[in-house]
Amino acid sequence: MGGSQADTLAQGMKMTTQSLSRYRFLQSGRGWLFPIALLLIWECMSRQSAEHAYAFASIPQIYHGLVEIISTGELQQGIVASLQRAFLGLLLGGFAGFIVGIIMTQWRVADVIIGPLYHMLRQVPLMGLVPLFSLWLGNGDPSKLVVVCLSAFYPLVLATYESLYQVEVKYKEVGDVYKLSRWQAFFKILLPAALPNIFTGVSFALAFAWLATIGSEILFSAGAGLGNIMMNAQAASRMDILIVLTVLIGFLGYGMNFIIQRTGRYFFRWRNLR
Amino acid sequence: MSIGIRVALGINQADPVFRRRNQLRLVAFLSPLAFILLWWWVSRMEIFPTQLLVSPDAVLLAFLELLDSGELWEHLSVSLSRLGTGFLIGASSGLLFGILMALSRTIEDLFAPLFQALRQVPSIALIPIFILLFGIEEVFKVAIVVKAAFFTVALASYESTKGIPRHYFEVAQAYQLPARKLYTSVVIPAILLPVLTGFRIAFARSWTILVAAELLAADSGLGHMMQMGREMFRIDVVMVGVVLTGLIGFGIDRIFKWGEARLIPWRKA
Repeated sequence: MGGSQADTLAQGMKMTTQSLSRYRFLQSGRGWLFPIALLLIWECMSRQSAEHAYAFASIPQIYHGLVEIISTGELQQGIVASLQRAFLGLLLGGFAGFIVGIIMTQWRVADVIIGPLYHMLRQVPLMGLVPLFSLWLGNGDPSKLVVVCLSAFYPLVLATYESLYQVEVKYKEVGDVYKLSRWQAFFKILLPAALPNIFTGVSFALAFAWLATIGSEILFSAGAGLGNIMMNAQAASRMDILIVLTVLIGFLGYGMNFIIQRTGRYFFRWRNLR
Repeated sequence: MSIGIRVALGINQADPVFRRRNQLRLVAFLSPLAFILLWWWVSRMEIFPTQLLVSPDAVLLAFLELLDSGELWEHLSVSLSRLGTGFLIGASSGLLFGILMALSRTIEDLFAPLFQALRQVPSIALIPIFILLFGIEEVFKVAIVVKAAFFTVALASYESTKGIPRHYFEVAQAYQLPARKLYTSVVIPAILLPVLTGFRIAFARSWTILVAAELLAADSGLGHMMQMGREMFRIDVVMVGVVLTGLIGFGIDRIFKWGEARLIPWRKA
């Protein structure tokens, strides 16, 4: 339908408007006005009364909280545990999704069998499965890993399936001209043509896996991880630690997304899209 | 639609043979049916203890029991009203904010950096902070839904308004369209489709985050019902909750899809 070209064009345009406006924020300096005002209000609120200080941690307090969890080693341990979980889940779930996606496009029977089942099971929000997994697998690491794996599995099945289907007919015809066997055509033509789009799916799967990691750590009480530290801090009403961790989770998510975008651009530079 | 949006929504655009041909449509029900039969058979054989795996008819019985006692309606209506209130507030303010931020340079300069920074924090990571700020009552649950809906819709409307081709505005200027007319006949039609897609994504996120929030801290709602089932080892109640959350998510997504096709007759989603 020729939509893919228009799509990449649209994406490219989005990128330029985004990056342009990002640079303008830095130039104008007006962008700092509200964050600083917000911080000042926050700081004032924290100094109002003891009751306020419970909900609004002051900036020195946040700094001390940060120092505290670094010195106990809790933070480092949590970061390692969470990142490990996210990547392991992405690897296992993502790879399984990739394989299932390939199988579905290559065998019509598999498509008819797996497709409806996939769409049926995918409807349940991942966090809604938490009580079920906690009954089946307990509150520890296995349950969390299953949730993270699923979060990476779903998008990659879809991305692989869609990308393989969207490979243009003219590429397939080249394979026919060269009289490639089915598998030769798959590995030499279909898969390379679909890979850039599948990689977009991987970047989404990573974002979902990170969300699922934090979510499952918040909902399953046992074990190490940033989410678990957060829940402990919440139980102890430690707003300072919560703020440190929330900001950190945002940064880590942003950083991972940045890295994977860069990696994609490097790997698929032959595709000359952006 | 880009592949990313389709992945986020779980839309399969590639039409497999069985969906293209009408007489093969029924085939799509085969494997779910087989799945349920297999589930029924495995639970009948008692390979796993009944505390871990209940049969589909036990789940149905639990569903009828909950329905009869009126308990289910209560949980369902509480959850849906939280979802509705939060989504309405979040999505409408997000829509307005996104459009204003895209059209006015002053607002963009003032708010965009803060917006982009806050957007990086996943809603689920905000649950603990929201509990401390708002307590564990209704405000907390509605607030977390508002957050999830606001940022998704605001981003969609911001990006799509920014993406309106410049010459649309030039034409409007040439015809000296008044400001109100500019919005109603240029801006809104141009962004309708991407914004609706944003609504769909926002709704899916709001629903997930609400279920998570109810699992953590609530005295009513579907998530709370599942949490109670988990604590009392009533796996049938948990399964009722799982099936219902899936059905509700699916049903409302279908409504959005129907709306897409109705509101935008010139472009099929």
